[in-house]
Amino acid sequence: MSLCTQTRFAAALADPAVAVPPGLTAWNGLQPQRRFAVYRNNVVVGLTGAIASRFPAAQTIVGEAFFSAMAAEFIRVHPPRSPLLLSYGDDFADFVERFEPANDIAYLPDVIRLEAARGKAYHAADVAPLDAAKLAALPPERLADLVFVPHPSLSILRSPHPLVTIWAMNAGEAELRSIEDWTAEDAMVARPHMTVEVRRMPPGGAVFLQALASGERLATAVEHAIENASAFDLSANLAGALQTGAFIAFH
Amino acid sequence: MKFSDLPRRAGVGFKPEHFPAINAEPQPIGFFEVHAENYMGAGGPPHAQLGKLRQDYALSIHGVGLSIGSVQPLDREHLSRLKIVCDRYEPESFSEHLAWSTHDRVFLNDLLPLPYTDQTLASVADHIDQVQETLKRQMLLENPATYLLFAESTLEETEFLTEVVRRTGCGLLLDINNVFVASTNHHMHPGDYLARFPVEAVSEIHLSGHSETVDDAGAPLLIDSHDTPVKDPVWALYAALIARIGPVATLIEWDNDVPAWSVLSAEAQAADEILKNTNKRRAA
Amino acid sequence: MNKISASVFAASVATALSLVASVPASAADATKEKCYGVALKGQNDCAAGPGTTCAGTSKIDHQQNAWKLVPAGTCEAMKTPNGHGSLTQGPAPA
Repeated sequence: MSLCTQTRFAAALADPAVAVPPGLTAWNGLQPQRRFAVYRNNVVVGLTGAIASRFPAAQTIVGEAFFSAMAAEFIRVHPPRSPLLLSYGDDFADFVERFEPANDIAYLPDVIRLEAARGKAYHAADVAPLDAAKLAALPPERLADLVFVPHPSLSILRSPHPLVTIWAMNAGEAELRSIEDWTAEDAMVARPHMTVEVRRMPPGGAVFLQALASGERLATAVEHAIENASAFDLSANLAGALQTGAFIAFH
Repeated sequence: MKFSDLPRRAGVGFKPEHFPAINAEPQPIGFFEVHAENYMGAGGPPHAQLGKLRQDYALSIHGVGLSIGSVQPLDREHLSRLKIVCDRYEPESFSEHLAWSTHDRVFLNDLLPLPYTDQTLASVADHIDQVQETLKRQMLLENPATYLLFAESTLEETEFLTEVVRRTGCGLLLDINNVFVASTNHHMHPGDYLARFPVEAVSEIHLSGHSETVDDAGAPLLIDSHDTPVKDPVWALYAALIARIGPVATLIEWDNDVPAWSVLSAEAQAADEILKNTNKRRAA
Repeated sequence: MNKISASVFAASVATALSLVASVPASAADATKEKCYGVALKGQNDCAAGPGTTCAGTSKIDHQQNAWKLVPAGTCEAMKTPNGHGSLTQGPAPA
């Protein structure tokens, strides 16, 4: 096979409007339209299925037909660049955000981001969460300068929509209902052990964890959190971070 | 170099949804096969499950994304990832496909066909050399299910595979469903194909189901869909082959519309019956 | 600025640590829920994402044009009184 044969084959796979490449035959001597269509079909069905399996809640929200059409368009514009499909679709939310037919559903990209974070957490490295007792042994004057190492599975998402509620209702965690109280919800995704967990963050909690995860000192993270939400409760949030396995070490 | 060394029994393709059933009690399964690409994440449940399976069963790692049949160079990054998976689990066997799936770095997620010429033979042999040198083990190459032919082919598929084995020392994974599917699709007799196949190089057999459609002229066109039990003509080819060459490690593949564990396990038992009942003993 | 004094800060951290350290295992979940809400797990298999395949498919892709389709899933049920709940129609984020 010359490179040219392979290039023509690949180009015709991607676009049903392109004719079946010359040089492809069948035993009965006919133009192998339907035979070539098997390969075309495998590519599209396989990749839309890959996207659907990473974003089941998003699919529930828009319905299967719309989701498949949207995923097919994504595949056309952003085909996978690696045989590692477990990370394919990391940029699907950004695509959906600019995808006009889905514009009405303003919360959809954030739901997709949450599902992408769950996938990342699922496959993240296995590391034991920080043992809080180690922190208790420190002299109090060191606490303000502590820098924490985030768990490899940790993601923090901020959303102007009731993100966690919407996701839960479409992931089989909560009953579907109309949302009376349309308020912003921040989410934390982590897999301290074998199960991926999603939690709704209290006021200032997301800013606090984001600051710590990006390497800010504990004292600086607290300042950011209070600026974000005056009701920020340091004791409760620090306890929450330690108990949900958000961090693996400090220095 | 480590050679392929699966037990000459029936195994199944591992599906995570079966893990609880498999783990509940010892299973009469000779080995499990997994797709390498599903274990290239850093951690999490996939590795926890495979680690547990590995303790109790023989393991075959089956790649689906290396694109050995491409005329373009192999993806070195992907080859290193395969090495990491093989080093971590030390499987009894590693196999890949005579097909291509990546072009200009775009992954097409299907096992695509190649013409059989001196040129593709040279490039496939080079790629297999590179894989075997990197992994420090013999690999098995699987015959494809194909839906069309290339006018430029100058070699039969069986000639092509025979020559690849001679040049590289690789082994073969004989997929009998693929033989039946491709033979039907190309209006040839599967028995003739198997008669010409270099069976002495076969270290593993795949069995699976397929679905049926028709081409533009209404001629039968079979699709290698792995979504049904193994079909009767495929069992018949398998039984005849085992009677001729003796027991070979045999995998039941079921990748779409995956059934309950008991159904899959029963398919493996059916293959095991055929393996046990042959009088023929293979030379080691 | 919202700078808190070193002593208040140290006291808060100490409270957090005592909270974590003193809670027996059985009560730990309750504390966790108080701080970060109940852990929602979702159908965990879905987080696995796509499995690879070496099989073809017998499903035929009926490619539809997304521009001609209307989303028709649970988004209907989750409408706010003002519509799908788009940014401009919902209350401003906190």
